[in-house]
Amino acid sequence: MPPPPASPWPLLQLRRVCRLSLDRPASLPVDTRACLFARPQTAKTACFSTSPARWANPSPKKKGLVAAPKRGTRTLNVKRGKRASGQSTARPPAVGERKAQRKRVVLSNNNALPVPGLVDLDKSNALSDDIRGHVMGIPDLAVDALRAVDAFKPTQGWRLFRRPATLIRTETARLAGLVRDVQAPAEGQARATVRRILTGDRLSGKSTLLLQGLAVAWLQGWVVVNLPEAKDLVNGHTDYAPLPGSRPAQYTQDTYTASLLSQMVAANSALFAATRVVTKPTLPVPLPATATLKQLAELGIASPEASWPVFVALWAELTHPGRPPVMLTLDGLSHIMRESDYLSADVKPIHSHDLTLVRHFVDHLSGKVPLPNGGIVLAATSTSNAPSSPALDFSVLLAKARARNAHPSHTPTWNPYRVVDQRAMECLANVDTLNVSGLSKEEARTIMEYYAQSGLLRAKVDEKLVAEKWSLAGMGNVGELERTSIRLV
Amino acid sequence: MVFIFGFNFTDATLVKRSLETFYGIGPKVSRSIMARYHIHPYAKVGTLKNATVMDLTAELSSMKIENDLRREVQENIRRLRDMGSYRGRRHAMGLPVRGQNTRSQITTARRLNKIERGGSGRVQM
Repeated sequence: MPPPPASPWPLLQLRRVCRLSLDRPASLPVDTRACLFARPQTAKTACFSTSPARWANPSPKKKGLVAAPKRGTRTLNVKRGKRASGQSTARPPAVGERKAQRKRVVLSNNNALPVPGLVDLDKSNALSDDIRGHVMGIPDLAVDALRAVDAFKPTQGWRLFRRPATLIRTETARLAGLVRDVQAPAEGQARATVRRILTGDRLSGKSTLLLQGLAVAWLQGWVVVNLPEAKDLVNGHTDYAPLPGSRPAQYTQDTYTASLLSQMVAANSALFAATRVVTKPTLPVPLPATATLKQLAELGIASPEASWPVFVALWAELTHPGRPPVMLTLDGLSHIMRESDYLSADVKPIHSHDLTLVRHFVDHLSGKVPLPNGGIVLAATSTSNAPSSPALDFSVLLAKARARNAHPSHTPTWNPYRVVDQRAMECLANVDTLNVSGLSKEEARTIMEYYAQSGLLRAKVDEKLVAEKWSLAGMGNVGELERTSIRLV
Repeated sequence: MVFIFGFNFTDATLVKRSLETFYGIGPKVSRSIMARYHIHPYAKVGTLKNATVMDLTAELSSMKIENDLRREVQENIRRLRDMGSYRGRRHAMGLPVRGQNTRSQITTARRLNKIERGGSGRVQM
């Protein structure tokens, strides 16, 4: 491309400027300067001025700003007691306050509407088939008992509703059926001990089913014993001591056992206060003659060193002929199917099953020790807080295959190259599962109507909405249903 | 306040932490001591029974820790120096002993390699 023909004007202008600048006097008259640069009119007036900023008073230094550190200097401020600027100077919460906040269970919400026509569970209707698929209120006394045994979890949605109520779903009805079978066995048969592992997807309602089972059993006058979080037993946060005379060594957890005793007393107060000790326990602390079970348990609460012998004596009392059946439950099963965080005297990890309380539960779950007066042993698995336990996973698969009478070629086999926790495998060998699946659409509709009546779901509950939410909730997973319909709306 | 091995600890101190304040006790030794007396990993000093505290103190007194250990380490270094060995000289000069380069970073050696290694010790109550 040829260059455009050069115009002589810019060159000339430049030469003139250079020339003038060389031989111009120190101060040219204004008009001369003006005529020099007459061509580019824009240069005459500046579109902005820096003078005000330059002549303004120096601005006060901003507080809290320090100069950037020089290169090579240390900038990490690790001086204790000195707060960085901009940080809150408010007092941190007191000791234990954060944990209390985290663990707080709120069971009512005054802003939610009371649901008209909400029927409470009671002793007679809890076991009947008529309430299947209905939302039932939990009576206040039962709420107190369930709260005492830590059956309500802070992660569950109780705080959204006016008062605790629960959907009697298919699995609940099945559990109630088990309670009924234990309570009224067939002619000439002793009361059975039913053992189940609750399995299911995340948020499918395993812990809530545990709570429903406890509620139903409590309403029938059973003894309810709940180990609310298996993790607390094995994560090395409570004190432990070897059990004297045990071989192989067993370890007691005195503080935990004492608190479990107090939970048992609070939940079963009527029974414990009315029942007298009939066995002759040998205890390290004196027990008054004709003591009640409550007094017996309180010995263990008052002196935690004696809590394990007291627990054993109390259990012997509870399983004495003529006493009511027992509901024994635990949440987070996989935690106790491995080695605990405790160490033995020769610095080897203690297996969870060597902790006396865990041993007690596991013996009942495996069927090694039956409940003479009948009862139900429930262990819920967890999918959100669960260490891997291949033995448990395998046993659950095996139990499911057993339940559907699978052909031996279709039953799972253990991978011989995996390390197996033999003790876990043995104790889970003969335990059946109770699978908690998604709600049916009718159940989903019932519970969504309950949400709507509580004022939490502000939409017309029709077939379309139910189908939408049911699908969004992964085919009726109840926790997801709650999330999609009330927690995010 | 609880006295362990002549030192004072507040009730809220972890047992593990309080044991590890002694020269010569680290994570591993504290773990084995606590296992021997069946103290759980998160136990606080205030929850220990008196008998356990006495046991701990007895255990610690039978161990070579604090000034005894310091003295041993210092004597070892002094022996090297008195022999006139290369390692002794390097210790005396505060330079790396085991053939590390000294062109740029020898802060650890400057901090640790001295005849009076481990300091003069804590004051016992």
